[in-house]
Order: sequence, then C-alpha cells, then structure tokens
Amino acid sequence: MRVESFRRACVTLMSVSLVSLGMQVPAAANVVGTSEAISASRITDARAVVDATLARADVRAQLAEMGVDQAAIEGRLAALSEDEIASLADQIQGAPAGGDALAVIGIVFIVLLILELTGVIDIFKKA
Amino acid sequence: MTRSAPVLAALAVALTGCAASPPLAAGLSAAAPRSIELASTPFFPQEDYQCGPAALATLLVASGVDVTPETVAPEVFIPGRKGSLALELVGAARRHGRLPYVLATTADEMVDALEAGRPVLVLQNYGVSKIPIWHYAVLVGYDADRNVALLRSGDKKRVEMKWQRFAGTWHRGGRFAMTTLHPGEIPAHATPARFIEAAAGLESAGQRPAAAEAYDAAIARWPDEPMAWLGRGNVAYAAGDRQAAADAYVRAIMLAPEDVATRNNLAELLLDAGCLDESRKQIERASNLAQGTALASSVADSRAKIEANAGTVANCKLEDRAWPD
Repeated sequence: MRVESFRRACVTLMSVSLVSLGMQVPAAANVVGTSEAISASRITDARAVVDATLARADVRAQLAEMGVDQAAIEGRLAALSEDEIASLADQIQGAPAGGDALAVIGIVFIVLLILELTGVIDIFKKA
Repeated sequence: MTRSAPVLAALAVALTGCAASPPLAAGLSAAAPRSIELASTPFFPQEDYQCGPAALATLLVASGVDVTPETVAPEVFIPGRKGSLALELVGAARRHGRLPYVLATTADEMVDALEAGRPVLVLQNYGVSKIPIWHYAVLVGYDADRNVALLRSGDKKRVEMKWQRFAGTWHRGGRFAMTTLHPGEIPAHATPARFIEAAAGLESAGQRPAAAEAYDAAIARWPDEPMAWLGRGNVAYAAGDRQAAADAYVRAIMLAPEDVATRNNLAELLLDAGCLDESRKQIERASNLAQGTALASSVADSRAKIEANAGTVANCKLEDRAWPD
C-alpha cells in the first residue's frame, strides 16, 4: 500500500516535470538589441569584437574589489549597454571619478608651490 | 575607435590640449538670452566625495524623480575611487526612467538645455591634466553681461564662476555634460544618431516603457531612421506584441535592406510565430550580410536554431503579408 502510493507520487512528479520540460522548448529569442546593432555598424573588423561575458565579469570583479556592495553591482551593470560595460572594463581604474574637489585644495597648493619653486610659474610675488 | 560611447569621445577631446576659452558673450549666439538662471533647481550639499550622487540627484529631482543623494549613492559611488564615473551616472539616470542625454562637446548645447529649463551636469577638473582633481557640479545658468556661469557645486548652493574659469575646468574634465530628459522629449539640436543611441541605452537597461516612448518620439521626428524602427520593433517584441514588432522590423528593412540586426530579429520573430519558411528566408539573408561583421556569431546562433526547426510543421500566426525580400 505504502509502496503503491510512493510509486504513484513518483509517476505524478515525473509526468509534471516532463510536461514542464516540454513547455520550455521555445528558447529565448536571440534578438540583437538596438545598442548592439548600432555599435556593430561602427565595427568594421570582427576581430575587434569584445567578449561581452568576459567584460561583464571583469567589471563585476573590479567594482567588488573597489568596495562596491555585492548586492548593488548587478543592478548597476544592468543599467549599461554591452558597449559601455566593455569601455568600463578598460577604464574603470583611470577614468575620471568625480569626488571632492574641496578636500584636495591642499594638493593644489603644494603643486603651485612646487611650480613656483621650480620657476615654472610666478604667482607668489614678493612685495 | 570601436567602442565609441559618447562619453569616450568626450574624454578623448580632453587630450587634445588646452584651447583658450573666450568670454561667454563672444560665443553666445545672437538669439540666445543674455542671462538665464534656473533658480528653482534643487540643491543638495554634498557630503565627503559625494558630488556625483549630489549632482545626479539634483538633475533627477529637477526632472520630477523622487530621490536624494543618499538613495542614488549605492547606484553610482565607488568607494575605492572615492568618486563616481560618468558612465555610471548615465546608467543610474536610466534606472529612474529618465533618458540621459550626453551633450556635444561645445557650450552651445548647454545653453540650449538651460533655455529649455534643464540644468546640466558637468564634469570639471580643478587640477591639471597630469594631476587631475575631478568634480561634478550642476550648471543652472549664466549671465553674459557679467561673464559668469552659475552653478550648484559642492556645499554651495549658488556659485558664480568666471565663465573662462568654468569653461577651462570643463575642458580639462573632458567636456562631459549631460541632461536627464523625459524619454519623449527631444532636445532642440539633437541629432537622430545621438538621440536614438540614447534611447537604445534605455532598451539595454531593460527600461521598456521609457525606451518605447523615446523611440516613438524619434520616429515622429525622424520617420526615415531605420534604427528607430528597429528599436521600436525590439521593445514591442520584448513586450510580446509580435504584430507591432513585425510592422516595425519590416519598416526598418524597407529603409535599410542590408541591416543584419533587423533581418536577424525578424527571422527570430517569424520562427517564434511559426512562420518557418519566411524565417529561413530572412536568416539566410542575414547570414550572407553578416559575414565578417561583429554580428556574425549572433546570426549563426539564430540560423542554427531556425534550421533545427526545419522539419517541424507549424502554422504562421501572423497575418498574411508581403515580407521584404
């Protein structure tokens, strides 16, 4: 009796999963996004195509390394086109990151001082 | 340059050297107002290193989005760089359903934006090229008679900066400037290529209704731009409207018969709708056109999938029509 009901449960489970397997057949459409189409029209050499998956993984890792919260990274990446992610992958370390100009005014002063001392500029005029 | 996002183009300009900036009055067109001030632009005094979130929040709130620098910071701030990247400000604006529009690298478009009532987010460099000091601020106006730019900047609600100094810091910052638009708004001097690319960014970010609105506006203004029709087709297809998507793709192909992406997407849609013969015809065409292009592998994937369905019998669910050759 118990074996019978177990068998029945198995058969039901099996048939449900087979039916749902069948429903998955229409694979996701392989649609070329408009951004991708626009950037492809600019690329004349197919060898220059960047591996989008690699670039994405690269940016993900770099953002995590630079202290961006893991939970926030996916949402940030999702807001960018593949092209933009590829350029981020290249320039995330060096691209301008607007921060706090006021906090580094001291650096400006030091730079000016060095330039003054080396004679490049002459702004700290003696009376 | 293969990955020429507008931002990259803007940054490249920064390397070309320091042009002396003329006074504002010298560059202002005769038709432009002598002075503008968008006084109602909100102001968020920045916390440490948070000028990116503060400037972005200023633009978003000005365009009707309910955010604060604190709520947008997790979308743009990079602790390790103690700052935010311009590209990420662009991405974050999309996440709030606005169309980030990167301006041309001349001051004219800034004046246009201000005239239209839109504050402009700018990247400034207060250092020198070798030792940069990056800062985001929001341009809210100018006064040509007094030769000043008016800014929301840092912890100051209203900064009057001599125009040449402002233009110099902007120039050394790579001339990056952006506005956030409602997706259906097209700036006065927008070019179709730049506006449609901006709309495509919304599509990439999965902002389907906003992208649809932007494509519709683009089509109304430039009905012969094939990429706008491709975009409209893509968002309609993603929303499940196969008939509208088919119409848009067919229109795009009429305008650009050799466009690989549109042929590929139409083939996918036809397969999906059970129109197998037509699907094969379109993917063959796409395949021939795609050889040696960046889309070759994408088209090969579609073709393999379509051929795997060659033996099946299906009824075409789209209304009978003349598909493009």
